[in-house]
Amino acid sequence: MNVKLSVLSAGALFFIGQFGFAQRTKNDTTTKEKKIEEVVVVAFGKQKREALVGAVSVIDKKVLETQQLTSVTSAVQGSVPGVQVITAGGQPGENPSIKIRGTASINASTNPLIILDGVPYNGNINSISQDQVESINVLKDASSTSLYGSRGANGVILINTKKGKRNQKPRLEFSAQTGYSSPAVNMYKFVDAGKYLELYWEALRNTRVIAGDTPGVAANYATNNLIPNLNYNPYNVNNPVGTDGKLVSGAAQLWNTDWEREILNQASVRNDYRLTLQGGSDNTTYFFSTDYLDQEGSIKSSYFKRFTTRLNLESQISSWLKAGVNTAFAVSSQNYPTQSGNSFTSAVQWIYNVASIYPVYRHDEKGNMIFDNQGNPIYDYGANGSGQNQNRPVFNNENVPGVFFNNKINNKRYDINLSGYLEAEIFKGLKNRLQVGYQMYTFDGYQYNNSLYGAAANVSGRVTTNRDITQTINVSNILNYQKTLGDHNINIDGIFESYQLSYSPISTQSTGFLPGVYYHSGSTKPESVSGNLSEDRIVSVLGRVAYNYKNKYFVEGSYRKDGSSRFSADTRWGDFYSIGGSWVASRESFFDNNIVTYLKFRGSYGELGNNGTLSIDNVANSEGIVSSEYFPYINGYTTGYSNLDQAGIYLTNTRYPRLTWETTSSLNVGADLELFKRVNLTVDYYKKASVDLLYPKPLSPSVGFSQILLNTGKIENYGWEFGINSTNVKNDNFTWTTNLNFSFDKNKIKELQGGNFVSGTKRWEVGKSLYDFWIQEYAGVDPNDGYMMWYKDVKDVNGNITGQTTTKVYADATRYYNDKSSLPDIQGGFSNYFKYKSFDLNFLFNFSFGAYILDSQYANLLVADSPGRQISADIDGRWKNPGDITDIPVLISAQNDFSSTSSRWLFKNDYVRLKALTLGYNIPRQYVDQFGLSDFRLYIQADNLLTWQSHKGIDPEQSFAGTVNNRSYNLRTISFGFKLGF
Amino acid sequence: MKRIIILIGLVASSFGMNSCSNEFLDEPQPTDLVNQEVAYASKEAINAVMAGIIRQSRAQYTNVDTANLGSIFFTRSLKGNDLIQSNNWFGSDYEQTNREPTYRRTLFTWKFPYELASRWTIFIEGVKASKADMTESERNAFLAQGYAYRAFLYFQLSLEFQQTYTYNPNAPAPPIYRDSSSLDGNPMSTMKEFYEFILADLQNAVDLGSYDRIDKSYMNKEVAYALQAQVYQVMANWPKAEIAAHNAYGGIAADVLNASQYTNGFNEMNNDEWLFASPQSDEQSAYYYTAIFPFTDFTTTGYRTTYVNSNFVNLFSNTDVRKLFTKMPQNDWRSYTTTKFKFNFGSDVPLIRYPEMILIEAEAMYNQGKVGDAHNLLYALQKNRDAAAVKSSNSGASLLEEILVERRKELYGENGVEWFDAKRLRRGITRTSNHRIVVNLTPDDKRFVLKVPQAEIDANPNIDESVNNGK
Repeated sequence: MNVKLSVLSAGALFFIGQFGFAQRTKNDTTTKEKKIEEVVVVAFGKQKREALVGAVSVIDKKVLETQQLTSVTSAVQGSVPGVQVITAGGQPGENPSIKIRGTASINASTNPLIILDGVPYNGNINSISQDQVESINVLKDASSTSLYGSRGANGVILINTKKGKRNQKPRLEFSAQTGYSSPAVNMYKFVDAGKYLELYWEALRNTRVIAGDTPGVAANYATNNLIPNLNYNPYNVNNPVGTDGKLVSGAAQLWNTDWEREILNQASVRNDYRLTLQGGSDNTTYFFSTDYLDQEGSIKSSYFKRFTTRLNLESQISSWLKAGVNTAFAVSSQNYPTQSGNSFTSAVQWIYNVASIYPVYRHDEKGNMIFDNQGNPIYDYGANGSGQNQNRPVFNNENVPGVFFNNKINNKRYDINLSGYLEAEIFKGLKNRLQVGYQMYTFDGYQYNNSLYGAAANVSGRVTTNRDITQTINVSNILNYQKTLGDHNINIDGIFESYQLSYSPISTQSTGFLPGVYYHSGSTKPESVSGNLSEDRIVSVLGRVAYNYKNKYFVEGSYRKDGSSRFSADTRWGDFYSIGGSWVASRESFFDNNIVTYLKFRGSYGELGNNGTLSIDNVANSEGIVSSEYFPYINGYTTGYSNLDQAGIYLTNTRYPRLTWETTSSLNVGADLELFKRVNLTVDYYKKASVDLLYPKPLSPSVGFSQILLNTGKIENYGWEFGINSTNVKNDNFTWTTNLNFSFDKNKIKELQGGNFVSGTKRWEVGKSLYDFWIQEYAGVDPNDGYMMWYKDVKDVNGNITGQTTTKVYADATRYYNDKSSLPDIQGGFSNYFKYKSFDLNFLFNFSFGAYILDSQYANLLVADSPGRQISADIDGRWKNPGDITDIPVLISAQNDFSSTSSRWLFKNDYVRLKALTLGYNIPRQYVDQFGLSDFRLYIQADNLLTWQSHKGIDPEQSFAGTVNNRSYNLRTISFGFKLGF
Repeated sequence: MKRIIILIGLVASSFGMNSCSNEFLDEPQPTDLVNQEVAYASKEAINAVMAGIIRQSRAQYTNVDTANLGSIFFTRSLKGNDLIQSNNWFGSDYEQTNREPTYRRTLFTWKFPYELASRWTIFIEGVKASKADMTESERNAFLAQGYAYRAFLYFQLSLEFQQTYTYNPNAPAPPIYRDSSSLDGNPMSTMKEFYEFILADLQNAVDLGSYDRIDKSYMNKEVAYALQAQVYQVMANWPKAEIAAHNAYGGIAADVLNASQYTNGFNEMNNDEWLFASPQSDEQSAYYYTAIFPFTDFTTTGYRTTYVNSNFVNLFSNTDVRKLFTKMPQNDWRSYTTTKFKFNFGSDVPLIRYPEMILIEAEAMYNQGKVGDAHNLLYALQKNRDAAAVKSSNSGASLLEEILVERRKELYGENGVEWFDAKRLRRGITRTSNHRIVVNLTPDDKRFVLKVPQAEIDANPNIDESVNNGK
């Protein structure tokens, strides 16, 4: 299509478009009908709540002020139905993963688009402090998101910062809050050093018996080889376990390490100080805030410190011209010891894997502690040469408590946001608003690996720095026309928008440091340097027409045309649209009654896109997030594969040149109902069908490429959302309100090219969901020999399945669907607010039922196939003798598959969490007046105070896929605070 | 007022004019990619493609034990009797159990050679079609590089995923990809077809190749001969094995042997005896993923997992330069370690050395009845390694055994010589009782073969579960 022509016609749209502030339409409303006045921020403007035809959830002050939100988007959890939120881990400053109305994509981004004050936000959400935020609006359906076109399919989160009010006298507010945190749930229980030795002895003995030795010979072997296999001896006798499998009497324990205590922070401190100033004259308003947060995390040495400041100004320059500017700056420092994954320094993995028989500090071959010249103990990295107590078979050459002390790992972030607008009323009803947003976000990662200890000791230390600069420039020009003719109200918007992002990371590594030297200049050898520049652009024209008759019948249509630089010239332009309508039935004369005091029906349908292409190989960026793929259609050789002095390039992937975005069609029908002017009920049904999925079709490994990204396949998300708000009691002294919201969300694969394919613990197949487990089916532990069994299909000569039998050969086990999914059946939140005189109490539970989790961490705690790997206290129930009926197999030291993926390790992951609790007391006015204060509030806030969960040992919030990854634990934080208002 | 309206209008439309066009969207281009056309448009670029594939062959592919060519060879080294692995990385390879379809070992040993081979196939096609300014012999040298490397990689696949060639040439072998035209998986081939494909590539490499090369990580005519020698040795085609081995080292043992370098740590590819290697440098390293080094070197930081069987240590005379063993404090399976391989991040990994060629020639001579020549050649190597060596009185089968023992003494830890010989000679592996785990393989034991990975079965419409029947 002729782009220039369409652009010109879009230009013409500017002059028929328009934009309206709903406040201006107050004229014919009565105080009785408050809803009409309530204004909601929507895409490119604001609307009366009543005029909404789509599904928009608003998180307001009441929710924001009753939680401790290190990352503001955490507020969505438990407060918005149809949104799945997972906060995985206890590193403060990490942001929750959010999915709005299910998973609309397999390989592209599933993150909602974040819009901060009308401008796409490309920084780290943790740069926004909660006291700056007025409201967070979650846009869920087509009519509310279609104006974001090729980025709207995953829903949109609008974060709106505070503004001053006209003719408001200056108000200064100061608050301070101090609290302590500990892990929100308890970890698995482990065995101690003595017990571990006995267990590993048993594993060695059993293995020899299975190999054919007599029990006596095998026991002897186990006694003599126990310490040689484990390499460490935490007792003062040579063979601490006798041939009876028990610790020999008189053996004295030299050490018994509690790694959990060494690694987890049981009382981390959180301090938060906030200052805001706001007010306004009759033509200018201002809002200023500054705050400082200092929070320690659940892993020792982890912390997040942040300073932010913001100034929002708005001025009516003349009767027809208005201007505004928002400026914000944030700087943060995050100490970030490895919180998940499989690297040797992964902190929680260490606790799950290293048995208590290994000491924190070095010991000689006889078990005596070794000290350095200053007389201090030396962290034992388990790589001290040969001999007893010198060479640890588990995570050799590392020591996580030592890493806290000897290494450095820190992220700094600098985020500058500037946006301004100029709005002119050209004539009554027609406005032109030009808005420019600029953001510069700098990520500055620093890592030092010690020059004397650990993985980099043999190169005398290593320093790695990452400096990534992300700049965004967004320009939108909005023409808005609004007209009322009798009972007919019309609103028209015509918008032009251009978006440019540039992302430029630089990474450097150097080695060879003297002890105590921590920066590149002190290195003897540069090791590697890399960097590139990626750009991402979108050009768009868009428009919206809204019409209503008597504020009773509403229709709205919108359209956006996007061109994206992520796709080839032939495939980059797309059209997105929505239409919607609503009917306020309660305003009909025939409806007048005292039971149903308000009733509105809504419906919308539209098509949205997703251009959020991600690295197909899951390459992470410096912040550990899967990188965006800015050129997913270009087949090329990657630079940086030099072979000694020869420059080298390598064809890493094979690509489809005509790739384009995913399209999601979205249907929403809903109703808003008010009963007795007291109970509000909102119900929505949605159905989202995503087609042309960016789908990595797996290729046969023998072809030489693992996968190719294609636009193929179709998935559907559908569900019901409910929200109930009730004002139970409201009088002068006592107020009680209740909110309950929940949703049932389903996901279904409708179409896949090239048949089924296996993705980890799932097999994607038409009719199933992306989250249905497809794994080996556990068939019990054989009472005769203690071996684990799995089911396998029996096939005839033609390969037809004729039955089922059990097998002890894991490789022969068949994988099955087991009707278990990592997607919850129901999730939601429940909150109550009480106010009695000067006291107020608010609590919020969030809950999730019906999801399953595959806990491979726990599986590995019930086997002994690697020497020195930690064992769970649950091991007591294991198989020991023929005839034992148990779910825990025999201990053997040879490699086995007992802990391999199977339904044995799939657990129900229901949970209810008391996410937030606030108890406050406002000191009565008469006592604070004399100090020049206008108000003084004292309060206690508690996050994650209680967690009830069906599978214990890990935090219930792990991953959408229902898998674990040695993640640290969410924090339970209890704080005390006060707030002064002047 | 009017003026300001016009101003805003102008600002607005100027943004429109600037941005709203395909040019604005065309401007962003990748800065770390070279497109396919450019990659074959000049000799320099072709060189870079070649260098890039070689670099990938010594990368950190997936994990410590599944990283690069070194991982494949070290795995084989641990399956014999001469080395003993503690229960650590590669421990289950040592225990002969790491062969199931879902295991990392299996997938890596399949996928990694196939990935590299596919890049060489694309390289061969790119070079053939290239309009770059180069002479015919330059073009041929590039092609020879591609053919030789592809044959080398397919040869590794043939050694892992089926019994040896002589067991049954009609047995199923992994799929063959002659060109890059399709992304669909091919069906299994036969061992006969597979070896024909390898030999055809090697013949091309010999015919087109030259003796020049950038360094020892590149193929040349000598390496192509060496690969032919190994392939024919497996096929027991002794006349051809003899010629190829002879051509690979030039036929004069003294010219390619330098005993004094044997003790230098086996980590420098400029060693006179080395023919083909994976080089590294401090800043281009697979770090701790560089098998064998961090596993056997107990003198520096590393995994320190691999011990030497005391019976094997006892095979070396005290005057043999190769007797590089350290007695450990323990007297069980951990009695000895070796200092043959010195670990640092710049350690080069040996892939083929001349002495192997000398021994292949000797074995090939022996098998053709040229027993005297074979014995002389063997003795030439022995005398070089041990000044005090005395020529044995062996003849007949015991001479063959002597050659095979010499192969172990010369090559242990480099390329899995024991496993390679046991498999191709269909002998099985017997471990002595001083092992951590005594596992014995019978001739043609199933455990000589890795199963076809599940990922291939799942994605390849031409291969189903039955491919692993009986394995």
